Amino acid sequence: MSDTEELWSGLMRAANRGDAQCYARLLHAISPVLRGVVRARGRALPPDQHEDIVQEVLMAIHAKRHTWREDQPIRPWLFAITRYKVADAFRRRGVAATPIEDVAERLADEGASAAIEGMEAAQEIEHLLSVLDARSAEIVRALKLREEAPAQVAQGMGMSEGALRVSLHRALKKLEGFRRRNLS
Amino acid sequence: MNTDDLIAELAGAPAPQPLNTARMAGSVLFAAVFPAALFLAALGVRDGLGGYLMQPIVALKTVLPALICVAALAAFVRLSRPEVSRPGLGWLILPLAIAAALVLRSLITAPSEAWFAEVSAFNLAECMGGILVLSLVPNWVALRIARQGASTAPRLSGLLAGLAAASGAATGYSLFCVQDNPMFFVIWYGLIITIVTLASGALGARLLRW
Repeated sequence: MSDTEELWSGLMRAANRGDAQCYARLLHAISPVLRGVVRARGRALPPDQHEDIVQEVLMAIHAKRHTWREDQPIRPWLFAITRYKVADAFRRRGVAATPIEDVAERLADEGASAAIEGMEAAQEIEHLLSVLDARSAEIVRALKLREEAPAQVAQGMGMSEGALRVSLHRALKKLEGFRRRNLS
Repeated sequence: MNTDDLIAELAGAPAPQPLNTARMAGSVLFAAVFPAALFLAALGVRDGLGGYLMQPIVALKTVLPALICVAALAAFVRLSRPEVSRPGLGWLILPLAIAAALVLRSLITAPSEAWFAEVSAFNLAECMGGILVLSLVPNWVALRIARQGASTAPRLSGLLAGLAAASGAATGYSLFCVQDNPMFFVIWYGLIITIVTLASGALGARLLRW
């Protein structure tokens, strides 16, 4: 989890120096997390309004971005704004955000958004890995996601370390090509 | 509007100036000191102020609201960060406890005829009216300034704005006021400070939403 913390705060710092690209990347990175929070708490609202609320939260983050202190972690700041604006958006639509007792809600909230975030990141990676054959995907998972020792992985898959390295290289190349095609 | 388009639009905006909480506090403090200084320049401090300030009980009439003002102002600016939900109200306990102890002491040691000896329509109107008038400008400035921040507890921010403004006003007013009975200044300063604080809380709940 500290990875997103470093990534997001780094992007925000760059944004505060006037780097619009980093700022856009940050907003893109947090949007799926916001979507998860809105989805989890807005069961009483029709789904077509969820994206409106996500946009309201993004605009609030934008309007209040000068209140983040660069020496403080960014996630508590982001989640505080999100919690406030989501509750506000639901109240203005006359819908109670999934009614739970306040304290329990606050506790659950941090956990839930962290879990949603993790899930969505995992889904995204799995989606990406689905372009590979099962064996290559497993090599990427073992070496790049779980960071297992190459020697062990090679032994487990019944191949030499050299062959493993070649397979990994090919798999990553293929992923890179897939990403580029999908981005452009 | 598509979310990607929205992000592209937001990203095109210039980078903001970071929030400066020290300057926020300074502005509110200045807004409290300025009208009080005008008031004292026009009507003058009480005769023999220096000597009265040497008496501990009388000095507390000035020191207690000053302590409350500083503690409330510090909590007020801390609360302008959205992630802060507990602004550190503990510092208010000390002056409030001393004020309560002063009243208790009077109730025990002073004869009951002396408790409300100074209470008259004129004295109450002068004292409470003076503090109320002096608190208007700093309270207005504090509520305006709070909008630069992102308090996720607008009512509490409003309450703290009112408490800082009214106790700041009372600090200045105390240099003019000739009522040295703790039963008088704790209760009636306290009452007008409470009224301003509650009104400011109600305003904050409306004005400080974002």
